[in-house]
Amino acid sequence: MTEIESFATAIRQYSTAIRMTNDPDELRNHAVDGALPRIAIIPETVEQVSRSVALANQLGLTLITRGGGSRINLGGIPERFDILLETTKLKRLLEHEAPDLTCHVEAGITLTALQAKLSKKGQWLALDPPDAQQATIGGILASNASGPKRLRYGTARDMVIGLRVVQASGEIARSGGSVVKNVAGYDLNKLYIGSLGTLGIIVEANFKLQPFPTNERTLILTFSNAGDAMGTVIALLGSLLTPSAIELIDSNAASDMSDFFGLTLPTNGYTLAVNFEGSTSSIDRQVHETQLLARKNNALVSDELVGKAQDNFWNIVREHTQGTITCKAVVLVSKMAIYLKTIKQVCQKHELEAAVVAHAGNGILYIELRPVDATFRLVEAIHELRRYAQEEHGSMVVERCPPDLKRRISVWGEPDRNFFLMQRIKQQFDSKGTFVKGRFVGGL
Amino acid sequence: MSISELPSAPTTSLFERISAETKVEVVRELCNLLGSRYVLDSPYDLMLYEYDASIDRCTPDIVVLPASTEEVAAIVIIASRYDVPVVPRGAGTGLSGGAIPIYGGIMIVFARMNRILDIDYTNLRAVVQPGLVNLHLSNALNPQGFYYVPDPSSQRSCTIGGNVGENAGGPHTLIYGVTTNHVLGVEIVTPEGDIVQIGGWTCDTPGYDLTGLLIGSEGTLCIVTKIIVRIVHLAEAVKTMVAVFDTMDDASNTVSEIIASGVIPAAIEMMDQMILQAVEADTHAGYPMDAAAVLLMETEGLREVVAEQTDKIVSICNKHHARAVRIAANEAERQLFWAGRKNAFGAVGRISPEFYVQDGVVPRTRLPYVLRRIGEICDSYGLRVGNVFHAGDGNLHPLILFDSQIPGEVERVRKAGHDILAVCAEVGGTITGEHGVGIEKQEEMALIFSEVDLRVMQQVREAWNPHQLFNPGKLFPMPGRCADIKQLQGR
Repeated sequence: MTEIESFATAIRQYSTAIRMTNDPDELRNHAVDGALPRIAIIPETVEQVSRSVALANQLGLTLITRGGGSRINLGGIPERFDILLETTKLKRLLEHEAPDLTCHVEAGITLTALQAKLSKKGQWLALDPPDAQQATIGGILASNASGPKRLRYGTARDMVIGLRVVQASGEIARSGGSVVKNVAGYDLNKLYIGSLGTLGIIVEANFKLQPFPTNERTLILTFSNAGDAMGTVIALLGSLLTPSAIELIDSNAASDMSDFFGLTLPTNGYTLAVNFEGSTSSIDRQVHETQLLARKNNALVSDELVGKAQDNFWNIVREHTQGTITCKAVVLVSKMAIYLKTIKQVCQKHELEAAVVAHAGNGILYIELRPVDATFRLVEAIHELRRYAQEEHGSMVVERCPPDLKRRISVWGEPDRNFFLMQRIKQQFDSKGTFVKGRFVGGL
Repeated sequence: MSISELPSAPTTSLFERISAETKVEVVRELCNLLGSRYVLDSPYDLMLYEYDASIDRCTPDIVVLPASTEEVAAIVIIASRYDVPVVPRGAGTGLSGGAIPIYGGIMIVFARMNRILDIDYTNLRAVVQPGLVNLHLSNALNPQGFYYVPDPSSQRSCTIGGNVGENAGGPHTLIYGVTTNHVLGVEIVTPEGDIVQIGGWTCDTPGYDLTGLLIGSEGTLCIVTKIIVRIVHLAEAVKTMVAVFDTMDDASNTVSEIIASGVIPAAIEMMDQMILQAVEADTHAGYPMDAAAVLLMETEGLREVVAEQTDKIVSICNKHHARAVRIAANEAERQLFWAGRKNAFGAVGRISPEFYVQDGVVPRTRLPYVLRRIGEICDSYGLRVGNVFHAGDGNLHPLILFDSQIPGEVERVRKAGHDILAVCAEVGGTITGEHGVGIEKQEEMALIFSEVDLRVMQQVREAWNPHQLFNPGKLFPMPGRCADIKQLQGR
């Protein structure tokens, strides 16, 4: 009997209820960068996850965890890959302590499903990554996904107060707790967030929540050049105003959105979308003062969005960070304008086109590159864009790209000098390599 | 406040105390490195470094005052060669024994590494050395209209390096978060003496979030030599309110309702009667001495937001039978309100020779129950207790009053402290919200974490500091550690 057969038999003996498949057609739906697992398993309880991992570990099999699959292709090409473990059946909201503004949830629930439940008490988890209908909490945490409103609310690391994580041994360990302030022991929550399943499987999470804002409005501004747009952003960040999101959209991205989503944005220059939340009076004032700042920076047009149109706008903007080839570059806010110019130059040089959507207040740019089949030129351009970002204290990760291109580049960039510290952690947490290697930074 | 010698050494000692001969050699090497001025080894000098603000103490063998990261790295290499433990120390204001060198060894004091290296107002960052006093950073930023958010009560003396070690909080972290939410990167020295940059100026650095892991690791993983922090704009408007209540329950319920209503003020602090009386005698802030509890609340931000929040808070206070709600009329009155709160610990010194502070956190909705239980526990040990704490976070700070001259009292205090933390754990809370585990709460870690949880955490120490060269014997329960406490005679 092969190890994989032993695994399947043992799982069957343990429980007949666990869904498991080795049917090639079904497995195709669970491919990671084109690689198929030998078996896929969909446990229904945390204990079943724990048992599955323990067995895989004992049998020397390797495993990838998958939530909704929206970001399953993030990272390098997986090395040996035996089992795919899907968490989507772990979808209970275990507790919603509304008066405490906290909740405790299983990791396989989708963000949309969770928000729907929380909204009954007027609250939400302040994360707004793309693909909320498909993305699970576990996947969002493991890949540290975020969205435009991170400007105000921060990212997963600012909201997670506790995690339960299945270790490589199959043991279940808790970190943090269920209260909003806690410094007992190492803050392993931070370590698991963004670790792409290389250290453990997140099966439950405790969150700090936010009340719904009473009102919300988005100011749309347009500029003829990146310098003016970013001048406005810097003035805003240095002011007393408290925008929840500042998104910058270049002309190619704007024209994509117009073409595909029926949204009309100016198709030359740069669009800036500034979102404000709070009471009407505070929004009125902030919109007004932002317009003044924008005018000083030569804004051409301004417009306001509310209600459905506003929701629709932000949905489209969020989804636009997910092209066939999308790079996420991070630079200092003060260097954004220069970096935008650099993107143009690099693309011109390599006869490529870029469409950029940026969390301008955070210095994060999502750069969609095309055409997608210009592999060699893309490789060059990616190298150059990364080098420029790194020269400005930044980094660049190729978040989405076809496996073909992936084989020719480093998705995360060359590891830093601190990489040995990461290696030592991986070695301690997963010395047998039960969690598939090759996908995370430096092949972890 | 310090009253007791450390628990008798663990049965299995991690480190032997350094021998006199070795000490001579180590001191000589350190003097060659730093100059003899910056190496202290006389009993008289060392005594200054044997304590922090907790109740334990232990004398280091050598104290060094490096001036640069390179010097820190060189010290670590010497320490490693002689197998002498290294303990970093900021200002010694810690409340859990994090900076107590329980095996002696070399203590690195950051008093000379106290500079602001860079401030970038465009990108809202500052780079500082670990010995910089917390308040000095905000003082430097204030003229330009900016500040650094985490504000522990000891901010006039505590250092940012120490804040990073303990993941320090403070009254204003309710809405803005604690130290970990304001640090983007650090420079560290590893136990091998390597100098490594972690995180950086920008966010979302690829790889594990080592910055997040290191903050609050209490000096047990690395030594931090540089810190990149986020700075923020000073608020346009601030309103500070004091609400007076005749019962603790009314005050606690007010806190719960404010949070539940969606108003998240910048701070909600609670003081009970015992504290009020002490504070009033000390600061004359105008707090009523006969009230059961007072809430000190602050809302800040845009004028419009502050006005709305103030109205809402006042109406919630009134709904819960506040006897009076006073809004600070001006900055002087606001400072007076805060002086009462920030000097509370000192004020308690007027009514008791010594006190012991606990640091549990509970879900905010459980405050009334837990406060009652704290009262009962202290009663049962015949001890007086006062509560002054970050109510908005559910972060309790019971102050247990005692007199170490009374035989057995210290032991009763420790037991009461333990029982209080057990109640916090029982309602789903935690044993420390901002003071850290250190040596004080090593045993209590088992109240909230299983053996597996603790083993997984220890993997991290095993990965980076396997021989516990840095701050040994802290943070985790020590197997076989003798429980009884030796009191230091004649102090």
